[in-house]
Amino acid sequence: MTGRPWISTTAIAAPAVAVWLLLVMLPEARRDPLWALGAVVGASFLGTGIVAWRLHPRNRVGPLMAAVGIAWIPQQLLIGDGAPAPFVVWLGACGLWAGLACHLFLAYPTGRLDGLPSRVVVGVAYAESVVLPGASVAVRTDPPEPLGSVALLVDGVRWQTVVVTGALVVGLSVARWREGSAAQRRAVTPVAAASLIATVAFVADHVAAGWGWGTQPLFVYAMFGAFIAVPLAYLGSLIRRGIDRGRVADLVVRLRGGKQPGDLEGELAAVLHDPTLRVGYWTAGQDRYVDAEGSPVELPPKEDGRVMTRVDRGGARLAVLLHDAALLEQPLLVEAACAAASLALENERLTADLKARLRQLAASRARMLRWGEAERRRIERDLHDGVQQRLLSVAMTLGLAEATAHSGRRDGLIGEAKASVLAALDDLRAVSHGIHPPVLTERGLPGAVKELAAVTPVPVECVIGMVEPLPAAVESAAYYIVNEALANVTKHARAGRAWVRLARSEGRLVVEIGDDGRGGADPARGSGLRGLSHRAEANGGSLRLDSRRGGGTVLRVTMPCE
Amino acid sequence: MARLLTEAGFQVAAAVDDAEELLALVGGDRPDVAVLDIRLPPTHTDEGLRAALTLRRRHPEIGVLVLSQYVRVSYAVELLGGGVEGVGYLLKDRVSDLAEFAAAIRRVGSGGSALDPVVVEQLVSRHRQPDDPLIQLTGRERDVLRLMAEGRTNLAIAERLAIAERTVEKHCTNIFGKLGLEAGPHDHRRVLAVLRYLNA
Repeated sequence: MTGRPWISTTAIAAPAVAVWLLLVMLPEARRDPLWALGAVVGASFLGTGIVAWRLHPRNRVGPLMAAVGIAWIPQQLLIGDGAPAPFVVWLGACGLWAGLACHLFLAYPTGRLDGLPSRVVVGVAYAESVVLPGASVAVRTDPPEPLGSVALLVDGVRWQTVVVTGALVVGLSVARWREGSAAQRRAVTPVAAASLIATVAFVADHVAAGWGWGTQPLFVYAMFGAFIAVPLAYLGSLIRRGIDRGRVADLVVRLRGGKQPGDLEGELAAVLHDPTLRVGYWTAGQDRYVDAEGSPVELPPKEDGRVMTRVDRGGARLAVLLHDAALLEQPLLVEAACAAASLALENERLTADLKARLRQLAASRARMLRWGEAERRRIERDLHDGVQQRLLSVAMTLGLAEATAHSGRRDGLIGEAKASVLAALDDLRAVSHGIHPPVLTERGLPGAVKELAAVTPVPVECVIGMVEPLPAAVESAAYYIVNEALANVTKHARAGRAWVRLARSEGRLVVEIGDDGRGGADPARGSGLRGLSHRAEANGGSLRLDSRRGGGTVLRVTMPCE
Repeated sequence: MARLLTEAGFQVAAAVDDAEELLALVGGDRPDVAVLDIRLPPTHTDEGLRAALTLRRRHPEIGVLVLSQYVRVSYAVELLGGGVEGVGYLLKDRVSDLAEFAAAIRRVGSGGSALDPVVVEQLVSRHRQPDDPLIQLTGRERDVLRLMAEGRTNLAIAERLAIAERTVEKHCTNIFGKLGLEAGPHDHRRVLAVLRYLNA
């Protein structure tokens, strides 16, 4: 906010307050501390009301405050004790400020009365603020019957009605305060608390008077003090909001220029005056927060004064701010800064998401390369130790048979050679199964899944949609995933039945393996599930595990297959 | 293979390269048995298996013996889906025992069956639900059923288990009883028992 509205506003408010003071000082009057305090009450309401009115012309809080200030004049004159007999009219009007104050308290901060209860209570308060002082005046002037009896009756229940109305005002205020969000509560608390104290003190003063204790200076001072606090707190919140808006406006301007990734974090840290502030961007694919470079962000435990504030946009999770707990004192500032930066946050989130994916892909590629290398070594070793050795022994045995003259011994050697060849065939089968499952070559994924289901001890129902043709890598990954998942069902699930579902939708292969077993599978424990997740990731897919204890397990993998 | 079969005393009507040729020739030549590999040209995937299924549908009287480098339970279930008569499914390794292999071909040719022990073993090793009638079989009865599933006659089973043929027959009656296969001709029950065994 620039200085100009403040200057013009002060130019209006200052003369108004001066006129007001002149008005209340005109009559001959006692000028003691209580009077001075009362003058401050009225003047501060009037002044703040004008300022608020100028700054927020459409909000009724300003006019209401100013009205309270003006309606305070009869009250002020009454304190001055200089109210002469002709001023009984003043006396009649001297309670109006209380009705206006009730209206103000219940309409703060929007200026509107929401809901029927508030409107009824404010209506009652206005009626009381005119009728009760009116009855007091009437009792003193001894009017004709039946007006006198009615006035006497009304004056008799004066303090009780004030107590009831006061309680209603307090109850409604508290209820409204509790309904608000945490941020709203923190913003309205100073004014609301001052209003509450003022109301309670006002009621207590009336109760004291009603019980014949006379005017208790303590209650009156408390009431006046709390009344002064209301406009002051309001003024404070106005000033703070103005300063915060200025900072947020600066942020918007600074974000407009082309920024490097990571700058946003610095800008937000500067605006919110928290150099330790960190931004975590949500990556839906990986279900976690990452920084601008795509590295995972660790969320702090609930200690050491660090707080997380989530930023959403259009209902979707956008980012999280990790900041100092002290920032909670300025919830509206944080909210406004997040709103101002939300577009930039969304942009940066997309970049961070992309970088996180690249990181994941690079890690998965490295893993697959390592795995492929290890696999080739294993195959070479298997061939060397198994098939090659056996074939070598076959050649030697046959050579021996060739050189043997004894026919019985020769038959024995030939039988030995045959056994070795069969064993070599067995070895070769195992090796080629390790390289690529033959059933996958022969029958594709649907046939291979049926075979896996057929050899699983638990009854497995296969629901196989039109999924082929599939890229070889995806087919292979899906096969190993189903294989491992069914092995897990057999080993851990204690299931009565299981199912495998293969489907293709929108260019993605969906593989689902479920059982009705005991659930409680934890991907963090056991490398099997992690391996499956890596396989899915290596094909650009993702894995989801749903395994509530006692609720069965459903593993769902989706992989792009266009 | 043709040499091997001739050596074993069979007459080889034709040796063909792919499934299409086989299906075309079988219609005219009407051989007793067709021996196929699962992997055949052009794709070397499952042409042989599909040709075997077609053959069984079109010419149920011709025996079909499928050979493979690997045996799969699901293939066996598929092959035997239409009954266990005149069908065989063996590992290629079995050709190394010529006498046994020739016996298997003859069984398939005369309307019997030949199932590889590895497949049967995989079926046996599967966990059974508590209400499965196969659970109630004794160890010996299960041995008999297993050999029955391989396609062997009572006499062959008796030789293999080194027991009297009469004892085998008694076991068979018990098996049929426990599996609830009381009625019908004897051979039909035998087929049903094996199918129950395979599909369980």
